[in-house]
Formats: sequence, C-alpha cells, structure tokens
Amino acid sequence: MHKVLIYTTPSCVYCKMTKEFFAKNGVTYEEKNVATDMAARQEMLEKSEQLGVPVIDVDGTIIVGFDQKNLEAALGLGKK
Amino acid sequence: MYDLIIIGGGPGGVAAGVYAARKKIKTLLITDSFGGQSLVSSDIQNWIGTRSISGFDLAKSLEGHLRAQEGIEIAEGELAVSVRKKNDGTFTVATNGGKTFETKYILITSGSRRKRLGVPGEDAFDGKGVVFCTTCDAPLFGGKTVAVVGGGNSALEGVLDVLSYASKVYLLVRSEVLRGDPVSQEKVRSHPNVEVLWNTVVLEVKGDRFVNGIRYKNTKTGEEKEMPLEGVFVEIGLLPNSDFVKGLVDLNEFGHIVVDHKTQQTSCPGIWAAGDVSDVLYDQNNISVGDAIKALLNIYDQIRKS
Repeated sequence: MHKVLIYTTPSCVYCKMTKEFFAKNGVTYEEKNVATDMAARQEMLEKSEQLGVPVIDVDGTIIVGFDQKNLEAALGLGKK
Repeated sequence: MYDLIIIGGGPGGVAAGVYAARKKIKTLLITDSFGGQSLVSSDIQNWIGTRSISGFDLAKSLEGHLRAQEGIEIAEGELAVSVRKKNDGTFTVATNGGKTFETKYILITSGSRRKRLGVPGEDAFDGKGVVFCTTCDAPLFGGKTVAVVGGGNSALEGVLDVLSYASKVYLLVRSEVLRGDPVSQEKVRSHPNVEVLWNTVVLEVKGDRFVNGIRYKNTKTGEEKEMPLEGVFVEIGLLPNSDFVKGLVDLNEFGHIVVDHKTQQTSCPGIWAAGDVSDVLYDQNNISVGDAIKALLNIYDQIRKS
C-alpha cells in the first residue's frame, strides 16, 4: 500500500484530474489544501521547492503537476 | 487504415468526432487530454446554451458526448508528433507514445499552447514564482506583490483571479492599449491594488530559491528598472500547435495552418484544419466547433465522391 499525499488548491483543474486518476486506479490518498492550510503550504515548499500545484508525494517521491506517466511509475501501475 | 484521423480533443475535435461517428466514418481521435485550452478556465460564460460552466466540467461534457458515440476510436494520452504523406496519398501519424496509425484523411484540431516570455530566469523559476496556470496557483500568492504580463483577455482575467489573494498586482503591458473585453478592463483599471505599466517588457526574472524580482524596460523611454515581487503570471498569448505538420502544409508567419475558410482544406490534399491551430480570425470555442463541423462535412463529401 502506497502512502500518497496530494497538495492542492480548490481552483486547480490539474489537481482534480490527478484525483480522478487516483479514483480510477483505486489509489487512496490524503489531500491538503494549500490555499488555506499554511502549515501544509510550508511543508509543500520544503519538500518540493515548488510554488505551484498539484504536488504529489508518493512514498517520499515528489511529483510536480499531473504527470500521468511518472505517477504510474511511482505507484507501480500499468505493470502486471 | 482509418478513413479519418482527428488530431486534438478540444471543442473542435470533439465536434468533428461526434459528426464523424454519426456519418459512420471509420475514425480515430488522437488527443493527450480533452477540453482544449478552456480546461483551466474557472468560469466560462459564453459557451452557447450554457450560462456558466467551468473548464473542467466543459471538458467532461465534451468527452462524455464523444464517448457516447458508437464506432469512434479514441487514442487518449497520446500526442501526435509527426505526419507523413505516403506515395499513394494516404498518411501515417506517429505519436509520442511510439504508436503509428494509417489514414486516408486528417483533420487537425490541435489548438494552441501558451507563449512563453523567453527571458532569463523564466525556465529556472517555472513553478517557483513563475506561473502559467493562474487559476491553479493564484491562491498561493496571498498578501504578495505580483506581476501579470500581457494585455489581452487572459491577462485581464489573470489579474482579476490573482487580485482575490495578492496585495498588489502590476499589469505589464507591452503596448499602450489593453485588448481585452471592456467589462474586464474597467474592473482592472478601477481596482486600487492594480497598477498598469504601459510600454513595458520583462527582461529577466530574478530570484534565489523563489522569484524575488524582475528587471524590465520601458520601450518608449528605453529606461531599465528592477522591481521586487514574488510572482510573475505569464499571460501573453498563444502559439499554434502546428509543428508536427511543418513542411507538409502551408503555415502563415505566426505558424497557423492556412485554410480555405469555405471548406477548411489546407494546402495539402487530404488534410483539413480547424480551430485555433488554423488561420481563423477569432479564437473561440464556439467558432472552433462550427469550423470543425464544416471541415468534417467537407471530408464526408470527399469520402462519398471517392
């Protein structure tokens, strides 16, 4: 079971697409809204050095943006 | 061998796909994602028949309409990277996923992508204060000073989006006029936290870990200045996604595919284009839909004749 955390803003469409991708692939995840949660924003900045969402943390691997191919690799999807 | 390959999943591509399926044309639609450039719009109020819809919901609705059609094939998550015309007049389309497809006819509805500033620091600070999706990242600039670069509708909407969070917004306009809708212009000009800098171009984005300033120039006086700020929102317009057919069809000086506006045919027999990638005068979802349908009907005529 992977530990997945996604940092989002409510107005971010790529965040929505990433969450849809998780739902489609049965990935459970924790979500932090960095528009309002300042501690989460700081955490995201430190982990990723990114001032842009989504940032996804899969078992410590940081993925920036809705990058389907990297997400699949980090989650071990698409392999039998 | 397909009868038709549609390249692009924005409003134009989907419209043509729906019509193609209803005409029972053996069709493949290749797209990396659905919805086109409006995907990131927070609120679209001019999609006819719908008073208000988000770009995300519009994309879902377009995709749903296309997938409800019988017979159409969809290669999603694939980006067309090259088109080759063979001696017999048919085409091979290759994708970034390493796939190739054969077809008799092609409709290009690949739209546009955002133009970049092309100045030092822009790439290095992409996602570190340089922003290309204003609606996504504006909430991260609460209480900060930022610049929005551009003078059209997307720049004005960008200013209005980011004003909900930022304490001060500089709008950097290359010319002496704003080109966006008068309604948005008024909102931007009358807001106390907005300052418009005319005849202004960005020369450099500066920073250490994150953006901490820009160097810019007034093109009229030639004066160069620096300004401390924490965000640069780039909204300077669009570049057509026509690279993969360069040399095969005629492009205008801006890279738009030149079409016959009655039929949407390009200079290369067997290839049509519609929407923002074509040399259409106005980039609009509703127009892309109409032009793509026009193209599809003309393709259908061609198929029936052959």
